[in-house]
Amino acid sequence: MREKVLEVKNITKIYKIYRDNLDRLKEIFLKKKYHKEFIANRDISFDLYQKETLGIIGLNGAGKSTILKIIAGVIEPTAGEVIRHGRVTALLELGTGFNLEMSGYDNIYLNGTLIGMNKSEIDSKIDDIIEFSELGEYIYEPVITYSSGMAMRLAFSIAIFSNPEILIVDEALSVGDAHFSSKCTRALRERKKQNMSIIYVSHDLNSLKILCDRVILLNRGEIVDRGEPEEVINHYNFLISKLNDRDNRVVSTPNGSFGTLDVEILDVSMEGKESKSNIISSGERAEIKIKIKSKKDLSNMTIGIMVRDRFGQDIFGTNTKYHNLELNFKRDREYICKFEMDLNIGVGKYTLTTAVHSSFDHLNNCSCWIDNACEFEIAGVKGDFFIGICRLEPKIEFKDIA
Amino acid sequence: MIENILKSFLFAKREFKERYVGTSLGQFWYLLSPLVMIFIYTVIFSDFMKMKLNIIDNSYSYSIYLISGLFAWTSFSTIIMRLNTIFFEKAHLIKKVNIPIYTFMISVILSEFFLFSISMVLAIIFLIIVSQPVTLTFLWLIPIMVIQTIFALGLGVIFALFTPFFKDLKEIIPILTQLWFWATPIIYLSDMIANRYPFILKYNPFYHFVKLYQNIFLYSKAPSIKEILLISTIASSTLLLAIYLYKKMVGTIKDII
Repeated sequence: MREKVLEVKNITKIYKIYRDNLDRLKEIFLKKKYHKEFIANRDISFDLYQKETLGIIGLNGAGKSTILKIIAGVIEPTAGEVIRHGRVTALLELGTGFNLEMSGYDNIYLNGTLIGMNKSEIDSKIDDIIEFSELGEYIYEPVITYSSGMAMRLAFSIAIFSNPEILIVDEALSVGDAHFSSKCTRALRERKKQNMSIIYVSHDLNSLKILCDRVILLNRGEIVDRGEPEEVINHYNFLISKLNDRDNRVVSTPNGSFGTLDVEILDVSMEGKESKSNIISSGERAEIKIKIKSKKDLSNMTIGIMVRDRFGQDIFGTNTKYHNLELNFKRDREYICKFEMDLNIGVGKYTLTTAVHSSFDHLNNCSCWIDNACEFEIAGVKGDFFIGICRLEPKIEFKDIA
Repeated sequence: MIENILKSFLFAKREFKERYVGTSLGQFWYLLSPLVMIFIYTVIFSDFMKMKLNIIDNSYSYSIYLISGLFAWTSFSTIIMRLNTIFFEKAHLIKKVNIPIYTFMISVILSEFFLFSISMVLAIIFLIIVSQPVTLTFLWLIPIMVIQTIFALGLGVIFALFTPFFKDLKEIIPILTQLWFWATPIIYLSDMIANRYPFILKYNPFYHFVKLYQNIFLYSKAPSIKEILLISTIASSTLLLAIYLYKKMVGTIKDII
């Protein structure tokens, strides 16, 4: 059993909502109740072990930030207790406590003291911090002249060199450029090997899958799931898709479609077999359902799909004709066409375009065409890791030929 | 707790270094303001206006009277005003770093006490220049200054705690402080109101402080045990009330700033 570095026990945080501050003040001193309650966290308990990275996910307003602030000690819980066995450093928001008039160099001392380092500790690490931040000569310029990315780099560098037992990272990594954010990810992994534990909150599902050993899912202030990242993230995706259901899952917008409209595309949906939502792992089997209604008797028709990446590039397209299916529609009948396939494409956001036409392509008698009929996201990789947009599944061989 | 108080020292030291960073006169500014005050009260009041108190035999007697009271008041009111807005000034830190708020309050007290000491030293140098006797009695200044600063801390914290609930206090406190200033015999002599408004003197806690400074500066008169006990009681009861309120209210304040 590894050592616990943090114990969160039955944390409940209730924000009291008052008509005005006078009521709030009256309640501190009088017995009477003047407030309505908003429960931000309800009975949250978990432990964090040494060298562990724990992810926390949840929809907006699920109580992620509240629990982080309570762990960091910035706000007090209404009930429950947090036991910290070591220094907790929180990167709650960028540029925590920077004095904008002062140089980056002086701010290292300022910030370092705030998060609990003493002077000799900072003296011994300041060169590493400056080097890691890649600020170079800018370190002697006032922070007010920095771009937000530069300030973030400095904040992150200080935090990681303060060698906390527990580091809380709240969305901070998503701000930097690709170079720095991959450097941060590497640094976090390295620190983890030493013996830092990390609590990581992000909406970037891919980085959660890469970094975390365990993930907790919050919904409306409560823990609804915990366990392996893959599983919990699927649960999260399910919550999102439910949310989308509730608003408008307008998959087929009448505005977005064009064509003769002899055939109408009623609904397009896409779902991962495991994730049960439109956030799908690379390599996972997914099902696309296209529901159509024909207004005429038509024969020799084709239903096609096209997957495009976020730049609008065609990634993959196919249709029923290429698969030698002959489709004949009858007047006023509805049909469903399913495409099932393994999504062997790289991580990222994609859109799905669908069309109904005759013959091989939509140049012939296009009945209905919808751009961006639905969106989906590939997050995380099932099976062997790869980079790029398509998975070519190589067989790799290596042998000694001498 | 001890660690946090050590941190207050660090903050105070840093604030001291940083306040005038980038100015060409640098830390000389700390001396400038009390020096200008001394200059005004000697040149304007004693040399130009020839205002003189006949209570002691020194042509700068009124200046001496003014300086003792004003320096004490300046420190007192500055602390109250600075503490009053501390939750707003430090909101960006309070919300992100786990450091108790009293750390920042104590750091204000420390740096203001240091400035207070500088101004008192300058005042004593001034006394020597105008050949006003400076005796060992002046050592009494040290405990009185400490007790006054504790009183200012207590009162400042109490006001500061209520300000997040009533933003108006931000405006009200400076005005109240002004009124309080004129209700205290600093510019005028206590004799001038002692007969007509004795209650103003009796119930004005700061009067009990300021009169001790004035007695030391003008007559080298040491405070009596009774007087010291009185100001200690005022200061400690204010501080205890402040601590009680702080514990009760600080959690809620963290939620609303």
